[in-house]
Amino acid sequence: MIEYIVRRLALMVPTAFLVTVGVFMLIHLIPGDPATVILAESYTPEAAAAIHKDLGLDRPLPQQYLIYMGKLAHGDLGTSVRNRLPVTQAIGERLPATLELGAAALLWSLLVAIPLGAIAALRRGRALDVIASGLTVAGISIPNFVLGILLILLFGLVLRLLPVGGFVALTDSPPDNLTRLILPAIALGTFGAASNMRFTRSSMVEVLGQDYIRTARAKGAGWWRVVNRHALKNALIPVVTIVGLQIGAILEGALVTETVFSWPGVGKLAVESIFSKDFPVVQGIVLMAALSYMVANLLVDLAYAWLDPRISYS
Amino acid sequence: MSTAAPTYSAVEEQPVSIEERRPAGLRELLLEHPRILVGVALLLLLVLLALLAPWIAPHDPIAVDADHARLPPGAGHLFGTDELGRDVFSRVLWGGRISLPVAFVAVGVGLTVGGLTGLVAGYRGSGTDLLLMRLIDGILAFPALILAIALVAALGPSLRNAMIAIGVVQIPIYARLTRAQVLQIKSLDFVTAARALGAGPARIIGRHMLPNLLNPLIVQVSLSAAGAMLAEATLSFLGLSAPPPTADWGFMINTGQSFLINGDWWMTVGPGLAICVAVFGFNWLGDALRDALDPRIRA
Amino acid sequence: MRRVGIALAVVLFLGACGGGNTTNGGTSNGSPKTGGTLRVAQETEINTLDPNTSGLVVEREIYYNMYDSLLGIDAKLNFVPNLATKWSFTDPQTLVLTLRQGVKFQDGTDFNADAVKVNLERYMTSTDPAAARKSDLASVQSVDATDATTVTIHLKKADATLLAALVDRAGMMLSPTAIKQLGASLTTAPVNAGTGPFEFVEWKRDDHLTLKRNPNYWRKDSSGRALPYLDQIVYRPITDLNAILAALKTGEIDMARVVAGKDVAAVKSDSTLVYRDTPSLGYGGFELNHSAPPFNDPAKAKAVALAVDRNQILQNVGFGVGVVSYGPITSASWAFDSSEKIYDKPDPAKAKATATGFSFTLKTANVQDSIQTGQLIQAQLAKAGITVNLLPEDFGKLTLETRVQHQFDAALSGWSGRIDPDGNMYAFFHTGGSFNDGRYSNPQVDQLLEQARATTDQSKRKQLYQEAQKTIVGDGAYVFTTDPTVPQISSKKVQGFQLIPDGINRFAGVWLS
Repeated sequence: MIEYIVRRLALMVPTAFLVTVGVFMLIHLIPGDPATVILAESYTPEAAAAIHKDLGLDRPLPQQYLIYMGKLAHGDLGTSVRNRLPVTQAIGERLPATLELGAAALLWSLLVAIPLGAIAALRRGRALDVIASGLTVAGISIPNFVLGILLILLFGLVLRLLPVGGFVALTDSPPDNLTRLILPAIALGTFGAASNMRFTRSSMVEVLGQDYIRTARAKGAGWWRVVNRHALKNALIPVVTIVGLQIGAILEGALVTETVFSWPGVGKLAVESIFSKDFPVVQGIVLMAALSYMVANLLVDLAYAWLDPRISYS
Repeated sequence: MSTAAPTYSAVEEQPVSIEERRPAGLRELLLEHPRILVGVALLLLLVLLALLAPWIAPHDPIAVDADHARLPPGAGHLFGTDELGRDVFSRVLWGGRISLPVAFVAVGVGLTVGGLTGLVAGYRGSGTDLLLMRLIDGILAFPALILAIALVAALGPSLRNAMIAIGVVQIPIYARLTRAQVLQIKSLDFVTAARALGAGPARIIGRHMLPNLLNPLIVQVSLSAAGAMLAEATLSFLGLSAPPPTADWGFMINTGQSFLINGDWWMTVGPGLAICVAVFGFNWLGDALRDALDPRIRA
Repeated sequence: MRRVGIALAVVLFLGACGGGNTTNGGTSNGSPKTGGTLRVAQETEINTLDPNTSGLVVEREIYYNMYDSLLGIDAKLNFVPNLATKWSFTDPQTLVLTLRQGVKFQDGTDFNADAVKVNLERYMTSTDPAAARKSDLASVQSVDATDATTVTIHLKKADATLLAALVDRAGMMLSPTAIKQLGASLTTAPVNAGTGPFEFVEWKRDDHLTLKRNPNYWRKDSSGRALPYLDQIVYRPITDLNAILAALKTGEIDMARVVAGKDVAAVKSDSTLVYRDTPSLGYGGFELNHSAPPFNDPAKAKAVALAVDRNQILQNVGFGVGVVSYGPITSASWAFDSSEKIYDKPDPAKAKATATGFSFTLKTANVQDSIQTGQLIQAQLAKAGITVNLLPEDFGKLTLETRVQHQFDAALSGWSGRIDPDGNMYAFFHTGGSFNDGRYSNPQVDQLLEQARATTDQSKRKQLYQEAQKTIVGDGAYVFTTDPTVPQISSKKVQGFQLIPDGINRFAGVWLS
């Protein structure tokens, strides 16, 4: 087991290295000149040249990469081109909003998936199961921005139940923050809800077929007691690992969901930065996303391996 | 892109067992799993609509009619008109000619490049395997959409680049799938025997490995296509796919979104529905195929 | 709160903003009350609080309330005294300013001629890579602090546009003490650096920027009462136009200076909001590249200008808000002549006869209205047998290709407008001008523009600019389509407000009922 962990960590290093190269190359392939964004209407070629010098953009690419890696080693992700803030600060300021949204989306996905999955497993083969199955497929078929827009349409404009877009910090006013959180969380989390539901169901089915369950039933325990006491805990184990994998989907989904709802998180920052050629910020975000995704995957693999001894690692 | 039920690395590496190699005859298959027919029918319908769009669309999708802008659904315009007076229904029909090919091409790219990579990596083993799989891991390290967006932004927004970007993102799934299969079969006795008898890699791969791959690949293709369509919709929503005035579902939603506050709902609901139906079709089919062909992961 | 009579209230309103004549869009009910916080929406986040490196229109909004500039303008764009009470050209190359006495910066430093010298020289000689005021002061040779209240500016050559430059950022005065002590943090936290009605409190990027009343502001209203009335101003960056509208409706913000054309009708009929607008100094359209095919052929440029249906663009994209554009001089400018209408109704037949059967790529920003406009133009030119390929690009790339590389056929663009007509024309249409992306060159135009710079006789200048405009428009140097308006939407509580065509909100005389 330890051996496995060490080996995985060791393999992560070259991959992480590849990722930094990939990110660097990718970002610098994006055509466009940050000087035009900084200077806007006051653009002159001389001022632009001065900015290039200031940002180190006039040096050869490999040299820029080395400088970048050097700074990275010190935890310095560079400076945003748009507003001269350190990238770490620019991302840090937006991170809480994204974390909040991600957590809410995850919560939604579990709240929907677990009960529905359990019910579908219990009523397996019957009408409820089939309906749930259809809902699941529908849930993974609707792009989160379409869902977001439909939610805005329904709850924001037609029914006028919830405020649309905008953000109020949790620390400023919890009720205002939470009412604005509901719709984007649902939009972001539904895809996960659908996939989780399916998985809950299948793992539930598997568990329910186990001998000890049948024993309990034979002894006269009601279905709900069986589910609550025995089946749920064991069935949840794989679900927990699935949640870890949702991190990837949530990172991706946040990009568009935050844009649709004007939610000031890292995702929206990423989209804005891509479109305004803010290389350092895009680099920083992609790097962070990739690394946290890798770490999350590793943790999930480890957790799964630890919990389910049937999986072996040759 | 994320597939319907995420599979994780440990499980993915286990290929289908040999006994289930031969699927039941086609008719038995369809009778036992009628859901496949439904999926196929739905997709055929979509493809047909897209193919025939130039003939069945009531209006020219890019014909601007500024005097009749933003009309709600009604006479002459099934889905109403957009901000430039163009018929939304016609644009939705024509939109399929963008989204569906992107899905197919992207999956094709992923399948060929990824599949080949996996085959080579699995077959050659050792150094080649290590190197190729590290590259694959490199791609997998990025959340798929972020990678796709970055690629398109780097290459320049266009339909072709969207296809390439989404294709690249699809590569790892196929690479892993084929590699796992190759690894398992490679060690079997009859393969060792065949090699001892002098059979070349092409024969071994062609005769023994590919047939086993067929089932999981078919399932994966259908599910990937769903993911590819979602990706294209998202890219075009961000303005990173075919440029205007091309009718593209995601972009239509983007433009329509700002008119929601004015009460114009049809500009977003039309293309939105189209995307959902198309993606649903692929997912449904993939699900049904998986139930039929890959009982190992049967729910 | 002291109460003031109704009659005085009217006078107060007249005297409050800009110190000059007011007729445009002002409203006032009752008498000014002191106190309250005004919440304003900004359509983009700003980059810097230092006028030296500022490039965004949105930043000027804030500066006018924190810093004073040497000259001011009234609603008719006449110069009015601000930090300078008198100005005159003793000869075409010497400008003498008499400064207002008894003014102190918010940090207590005296405002005097030395301070002016420090500021102007800072703008002229700044080594900051993003320094943007050099071209505004390009004609200045040197600045002398002749005595405590007199500044003499020596020019390299006659420049009638200098006064206009001193109204805006190049004339904004910062405390020399603050410049020295704050250094680089002037960009993010210029504490007490100006002489303006409001002082900087804090700036939390993408969240809010707060200003509070300057208790020692030098300007008083016409009854002698201290200005400003407001306790605080809070700016909030909201980039989505729909979100701004929503925030106005729910009362989260009190004022916004942008609105989508499609929402204007709804805003006007909303009884909780007040809508005002005034013609803008800016214009919009698309530039043509005259240094390469197809538009190195003047006939093709003219054909395009003939075929465009400007009114359709105004109605479809702008929802009728704004006016059709007939040139770089807009109706807000003193140089405007309404009889000039060279390309009015579209004439596809004439266009076809002039030049047809060619194609070009029209680049636009990645913004919905631009893309919509581009598609309209595409359809309009098709009627004249001209094929347009549309290519939306992000703003940075677009600027690079047009301004720096001059690699484009046509590109949608606009200009926010400057007080002096020179600011709308010289850099754009003079041979080699710094904003002349299309490399248009016409020696007659050059001569006219240069002459207009060299004289301060306004009626003569108007004549010269009109002639230049005729040629510029006729040649198809730039295809002018529509001029925007300066809109302003505020809640009913906001009083004492006055719209000035430069589109900047000045809050010194504003109060909340």
